[in-house]
Amino acid sequence: MKIVGITSCSTGIAHTYMAAENLEIAAKKRNIEIKVETQGSIGAENVLTEQEIADADAVIIAASTSVNKDRFNGKRLLEVDVTEAIDHPDDLFDRAPNAAIYTTSADVKSEAKAEKSGIYSHLMTGVSYMIPFVVAGGICIALAFAFGGINAKGELASAINELGGIAMGLMWPILGGYVAFSIADRPGLVPGMVAGMIASSMNAGFLGALLGGFLAGYTVHFLKKVLKLPPAFSGLLPVLILPVISVLFVGLVMKFIVGIPITALNEGITNWLNSLSGMNSVLLGLLLGGMMAIDLAGPIGKAAYFFGVASLTNLGVGETSMVMAAVMVSGMVPPLAMALSSTVLGKNLYSKEEREAGKSAWVLGLSFISEGAIPFAAADPIRVLASVTVGSAITGALSMIFKCGIAVPHGGFFVFLIPGAVENVLLYVLALAIGTAVSGFLVTAVKVFSQKKQTAKE
Amino acid sequence: MTEIRDVLKPAFINFDLQATDKLAAISELASTFVSKGVVTNESVYVKAVMKREEESTTGIGFGVAIPHGKSAAVTEPSLAFGRSQAGIQYDSMDGKPVHLMFLIAVPETSNDEHLRILSKLSRKLMHEDVRQKLMTVTNIEEIYQIFE
Repeated sequence: MKIVGITSCSTGIAHTYMAAENLEIAAKKRNIEIKVETQGSIGAENVLTEQEIADADAVIIAASTSVNKDRFNGKRLLEVDVTEAIDHPDDLFDRAPNAAIYTTSADVKSEAKAEKSGIYSHLMTGVSYMIPFVVAGGICIALAFAFGGINAKGELASAINELGGIAMGLMWPILGGYVAFSIADRPGLVPGMVAGMIASSMNAGFLGALLGGFLAGYTVHFLKKVLKLPPAFSGLLPVLILPVISVLFVGLVMKFIVGIPITALNEGITNWLNSLSGMNSVLLGLLLGGMMAIDLAGPIGKAAYFFGVASLTNLGVGETSMVMAAVMVSGMVPPLAMALSSTVLGKNLYSKEEREAGKSAWVLGLSFISEGAIPFAAADPIRVLASVTVGSAITGALSMIFKCGIAVPHGGFFVFLIPGAVENVLLYVLALAIGTAVSGFLVTAVKVFSQKKQTAKE
Repeated sequence: MTEIRDVLKPAFINFDLQATDKLAAISELASTFVSKGVVTNESVYVKAVMKREEESTTGIGFGVAIPHGKSAAVTEPSLAFGRSQAGIQYDSMDGKPVHLMFLIAVPETSNDEHLRILSKLSRKLMHEDVRQKLMTVTNIEEIYQIFE
């Protein structure tokens, strides 16, 4: 990989050069070819040539001053503060190849983005560390289904299923931890991961884990500012005091302040759903379908899922549940729709990393692992969640209209393959395809539209 | 040819800083500049340094800090080195105390030769072996050798 960079700081005496040196040291360790232009008070040195820029895979600008970016039109460009290159240069090499492509016409946008870029870049750091966990976990679970049927029977299949569950379960602490890491550096990791685990254990979903990550990051950021210790004790700050205080504070806030409304929400939705029995089945399918997508395995989705599972309990032998069928098939729509959009319909709207995640989202979607859509939803929540909710609701309603039914609570496409396991299996597939197509087109269109609007504003 | 010894004069080297907090440590080193006349007004210069600190801390982690100030109170680009075994409370990027401090003084206008030396020094500080040597050196000549 080839990287070019620019470093610059306000006085242009020290940080500019330390950042450049540290990028070079880190690049050498990873066998990355790098050239760093320093823009200090001596003026620009080691100036990048046009050829070097053209050959580079990505550009890193680590500066606390505004650097002219005209030369980098069409390149993947990561802009960070100069201190990030000094503190954690390694991380920048992970992020740069996935950075957004810079276009000169987007100058106005990048200014408006500057305020947003802080929060957005923390979010993206968390998401980029999380993606491999979702992919590894999801694919393992799918493999377990493939080897051992939908109940992952057999020693190997159940072991692989367990592995998948572990990798998948780690996505929440990783998401929370690395959002906090991005905000507050290393001391953010502990409370962020703890917050992610809590979010996971109380079914707060990815929004809960994100919230926890931000809470942890800013808490540590604040603690680092206000905690002053006599020098004899200040060595204890990063190893003892910050971790303990931040975990206690963030953990208790998550459990008692964030947790109470979430638990109430869980119970409220479950009670409300139970009160709906006897409702028109198509409307129920529409509702459950939408719920499965709206927070992607968060509290609302979980409530809908368990409502579906509960409908299985009174089934006699040979009977199937239409409610469960609607729930499962609509939960498959979000990852499949995002896969459709990121690998087929709108490739250039997504980063390289997202396109890779999109490929595995096909497998995750077919295995009824709604989490496959989370990397996309975390990066662009409103547009993605709204789009996938529409398609999932349509699929849920169609599944009811087609009178599809199943008798198992999981398995995705692997259930379709078992003869007789799905009532009206062909129509079931049709319901899935329609919802996926609707959401896939919708999310692509919404993303194109928002890009056009950005360009028009300039 | 300008060399490290032209900016880092023996008088500016202090192997045993007494101060334990940021402002006191910066003042302690800054007073060595005043003694040789490269800084004409200590409080004006220290203010410039602290203003830079407010923007973002120059405690870059690994126990190293490089506070710096550009001010009309500086007559020639200079560098002071201070070491503290006990550690200085510095609000560093990694939260750890500072043991090695390089205080930089730059006039409003200065020639590039001097600035280039400071930039080379900054680069050297990023290397762990350099930092380790700085923690253990006992005489001034050894410091010059590290940076030459």
